[in-house]
Amino acid sequence: MSSDEFDPMIERLFSRSPQMADAPLFAAGVEARLKSSSRVRTVALTVAGLVGGVIAVRESTAVDFTLSDAEAPVAGRAIGQGLEAASLSVQSAAQSGLQTFGLADVSLGSLGGMQLFWLCAGALIALAAAGVMKLSQEV
Amino acid sequence: MAQSLLDRHDVELAALAAAGGRREFGELVRRHSSAVRALLRRMGAQPSEADDVAQDAFLQAFEKCAEFRGEGTFAGWVKRIAARLYLKRKAKDSRYVAELEPEQGESVTPQDAAGRVDLDEALNSLSEIERLCVSLCHGAGLSHAEIASAMNLPLGTVKSHVKRGLDKLRARLSPDGERSGRAAHVV
Repeated sequence: MSSDEFDPMIERLFSRSPQMADAPLFAAGVEARLKSSSRVRTVALTVAGLVGGVIAVRESTAVDFTLSDAEAPVAGRAIGQGLEAASLSVQSAAQSGLQTFGLADVSLGSLGGMQLFWLCAGALIALAAAGVMKLSQEV
Repeated sequence: MAQSLLDRHDVELAALAAAGGRREFGELVRRHSSAVRALLRRMGAQPSEADDVAQDAFLQAFEKCAEFRGEGTFAGWVKRIAARLYLKRKAKDSRYVAELEPEQGESVTPQDAAGRVDLDEALNSLSEIERLCVSLCHGAGLSHAEIASAMNLPLGTVKSHVKRGLDKLRARLSPDGERSGRAAHVV
């Protein structure tokens, strides 16, 4: 048999493969792994969102909108007072919300808000870098 | 009425899977898993290993589904992913580095009485490296250069493995395969 005849024949033979008896079982296994990986991703995103939200709310309760008389003109003072009032009401609402979830007294150690923010950002960047490394190895 | 999954074309299902459709992707897996698993076994993987790699390949295919544009077949696309994953796994074992020389004195497996062409049996007569190169080239559709790069082998070595493997397969699979197969051993 010449190579011209044989090469297409071998390609045809390779493209033919019998349907395996356990194909549905295999497909179910793949679907289960897909489901579990998407669940892990959802949980991770939810946790990250919750942590970020809690930090943001705690930080917002500490914002001070008070403007001194010397620094602000009349209109600015009016805006400042409005913001102060709004901030106070948001603070009390947020505080009661945190109390409801038992998070009002959560202590994040001696770290300040910005330090925590940069820590979280660093961790996320490290995670992203690890992901990129893994992807580059797989491709 | 919504179109049944069974009626949809692979490209359509892949597009829906790329948008997060797990059911659609499941249908693609049902359609093509046997071909992918068979290729991995033909490459020399044990059945359980072949299934592991095939699963990983399908998971990776789901992640990259948006990259499939229907230029080739979906099965061919996943086969290439699976072949590369298998090679990566083998490279970790670094088994094929030590197996560059073809094995000598392989047993001759006769074709069955009806003369049925049995690729899987014929592949058993090849050395592991020949089998891998031939399967990658003709089963997964990788070029010689791609195989050389993936296996970290010189291009010429890959070409000679493919050629030697095909010569052996031709000897087995051609109508007078038995005689030519034996003649090859005598020479």
